[in-house]
Amino acid sequence: MSSEPVFRLQGGHKLAKPTLIVAWAEDASDVGVRTVDYLIEGLGCREFGEILPEGFFPMAGVNVVNDVAQFPESKFYISDESNLVIFRSNIPRTGWHGFLNAVLDVAGHDCNVSEIYTLGAMISPAAHTVPRLLISIVNRQEIKEDLEPYNVMTGTDYETPPGQKPTLSSYLIWLAKQREIRGVNLWVPVPFYLVSIDDPRACKRLVYFFNSKFDLGLDFTKLDGEITQQNNKIARFFERSPEIEAFVRRLEAGDGLDGEESEKLAREMAEALT
Amino acid sequence: MAIKYIKEPELINPVMIASWPGIGNVGMIAVDMLRRVMRAEMMAFIEPQEFFYPKRVIIRSGELVELEFPSSEFYFVRNERHDLIFFVGEEQPAEGGGVYATGSKAYSMANLVLDAAQKCGCRRVYTSGAAVAPMHHTARSRVWAVPNSAGLLSEFKSYDNTVLMSDVEGRGGEGNITGLNGLLLGIARRRGLEAVCVMGEIPVYLQGFPFPYPKGSKSVLEVLAAALGMWIDMERMDRMAQDSENELTGLYNKLPPEIKERLDRLKHTTVAAPESMEAITDDDKRKILEDVDKFFRRESGGEQH
Repeated sequence: MSSEPVFRLQGGHKLAKPTLIVAWAEDASDVGVRTVDYLIEGLGCREFGEILPEGFFPMAGVNVVNDVAQFPESKFYISDESNLVIFRSNIPRTGWHGFLNAVLDVAGHDCNVSEIYTLGAMISPAAHTVPRLLISIVNRQEIKEDLEPYNVMTGTDYETPPGQKPTLSSYLIWLAKQREIRGVNLWVPVPFYLVSIDDPRACKRLVYFFNSKFDLGLDFTKLDGEITQQNNKIARFFERSPEIEAFVRRLEAGDGLDGEESEKLAREMAEALT
Repeated sequence: MAIKYIKEPELINPVMIASWPGIGNVGMIAVDMLRRVMRAEMMAFIEPQEFFYPKRVIIRSGELVELEFPSSEFYFVRNERHDLIFFVGEEQPAEGGGVYATGSKAYSMANLVLDAAQKCGCRRVYTSGAAVAPMHHTARSRVWAVPNSAGLLSEFKSYDNTVLMSDVEGRGGEGNITGLNGLLLGIARRRGLEAVCVMGEIPVYLQGFPFPYPKGSKSVLEVLAAALGMWIDMERMDRMAQDSENELTGLYNKLPPEIKERLDRLKHTTVAAPESMEAITDDDKRKILEDVDKFFRRESGGEQH
């Protein structure tokens, strides 16, 4: 392993035992990064530093997405007023242990964070009209009590099934526990047919949680507008396609769809909403 | 990156036998079977975090209670002629998502394994794996032995059912050994340590499938027993090998006649006298692999859905 510094910070801060919020790009519906983007904009956060990509991402060229060359970014933002640190990053392709320890080094040594929240989406078979739940996984039992006033589900049992791997968020709060930093994974279910599109309801559920928990005084107008816009688009699509509406109504009634129907719903919804 | 020792026994004339997962898990099954039969005790482990991504998370009532990593463990057992150290790695540390070890992590892992070997006084290390061969699954697997110094060639040539690279059809003594099984030989050579990789043959048409191949493992175990000058109770290994052959024969009998006919020709392929039989050409090998691949994918797809 290289002994070169793996992160670079800029400027000072006035934070006192802040909370760190972590979001990974390339998640279902990009729920995590859309949520932190809303927080960064709404709270007027400033860029504070970054983890350097070398050793964590392949440096063999760039990917082009929607005609634009991409490059991995792993950046910290802070809001002194709200006492929050936000980490928004692509998922490293290698050196995960070193990468997550770099996040915790910045969080622990440079910002003295008291707790970490990670954001993520889980794919749900439910309809988009169903209110979004918020599910938590904690790295210490006592944290559950702090979450209860915010209508967060805290009783999940789970083991990684064979052939799958734990999430990077699980790995992060497990490492955080070893450093005695409180850690919470927050998961919002996203309807399977919105996974490749936006799910502003899921973002709102997360933003609402942070707004309540940290008394941020955020304005929800923009998010509400996105939800209304999506509702209108879906309503217009239903007028054109009664079969798709029937699929969604069946999901609302708790009836499952078969594989072909699910695939059709996801494909046609993606075409209609993008 | 470190080795954590649970016990530091004084060992007499020890030999290390190392294994990682690979094709048909041929080496892994052989070494793990030997470790279990000999009731070896755990001695040490390599801290996994720098090498591996976690393999399993356990959440109970909303609390993350455990994150498990692939293990890399050392075991020891006292034995008459040589005390034995086993190294069993659950995964190879691969950079970039491959199955076989690559990059600086692989180099570090191989060095840590050899550090442990030398700390315990080992003068020889065995690694074990699979050799893909144009053979039939009803045939006995031979063992390809590749030592890291010419001085060991005559010893391994003398063991029953063992061949060197130069004995293998068309190889002219050349080839390569993928992953840590090979890397360990090279690094051991740099350290002046004897090392030999023993590879049990697996039929070419099984190389791409996640089936274990204990017939190859059995042959590896027989050669290890000879090299270590010890008797090994093979009862469980024989049973595993027989069960595997029965299962494979069951699948084989479901193959379409034209594929079976091609594979049947492998029954007559031998390294010693390939020219005396109806030889399998490279085109035949490619065609066999394509046909079998198609067949097994269709079969496993049918079972899963």
